[in-house]
Amino acid sequence: MTGMTAQMTFLAFFGAAAVWFGIVVFRTHSMVRSAIALLFSQTAVGVMFLLMQAEFLGVLQIMMMATEMSVMAIFMVMFMMDPGGMGAMEMTHQKRLSLWAGGIGLVGALAVIWLADWGPPVPVIPGAAEQAADLGRELLGRSMFIFQSAGLTILTAMVAATMVAIVPNEGREG
Amino acid sequence: MILELMIALSVGAGMFGVGLYGALSQTNLVMIIMGVELILAAALVNMVAFWRYLHPEEPAAQMFVLIVMAVMAVEMAVGFGIAIARFRTRGSVEMEEARELKG
Repeated sequence: MTGMTAQMTFLAFFGAAAVWFGIVVFRTHSMVRSAIALLFSQTAVGVMFLLMQAEFLGVLQIMMMATEMSVMAIFMVMFMMDPGGMGAMEMTHQKRLSLWAGGIGLVGALAVIWLADWGPPVPVIPGAAEQAADLGRELLGRSMFIFQSAGLTILTAMVAATMVAIVPNEGREG
Repeated sequence: MILELMIALSVGAGMFGVGLYGALSQTNLVMIIMGVELILAAALVNMVAFWRYLHPEEPAAQMFVLIVMAVMAVEMAVGFGIAIARFRTRGSVEMEEARELKG
């Protein structure tokens, strides 16, 4: 019971951190700080995975997001007119509509979560090694086609993104 | 009642709300991508929570998480490809200025 309580406490703590850093992403004027806040938010999500005993996915999430957000921070510095946020530029529009949409999405989801009957808890889950082995068997067995499709999609997206990025101005302007 | 599941799902709901606000309110393409990343992270939290507290015996749930991670990578790659193309042709990635396709 103590283990479950500790798990719940840490889950709530890192969950609150994930949401808080998510809010910081859109509150700060510095774009680099936004990227770092998103990195912290995604890392908190990765820690939540570890707390939910999905070790492989937790480590994967933290490693993937660390790289992804570093790339994003570089893009921020490259593209933004004011990456440091010194000018405190306003970079939002339709704020009221966005707040309403976000608020309604949040309240609707919370209502479903807290009003639904989720059934009895499952006390025993497979160990980390067994989970990884099961996932491997799943990926190379029943779900192989879906997994290979995901790989092909990533390859296509990489090629497409590169082609979009390198087309010269003359060709695009017509 | 599974309180841990509800906490995890509530975190997902919070991240979804914040991400939706960000994706709709920001004018910069890179910031919009950040909002979409938050929404997808919310989906990841929900999927791992469903796997852990409802169907831990089913590895297909973890496979689904890997697919969403792939979607996140694809979204970022294509988004940044468009950002580079836009920056090359227009000198900015402000979406307020992207009105070429508007009827």
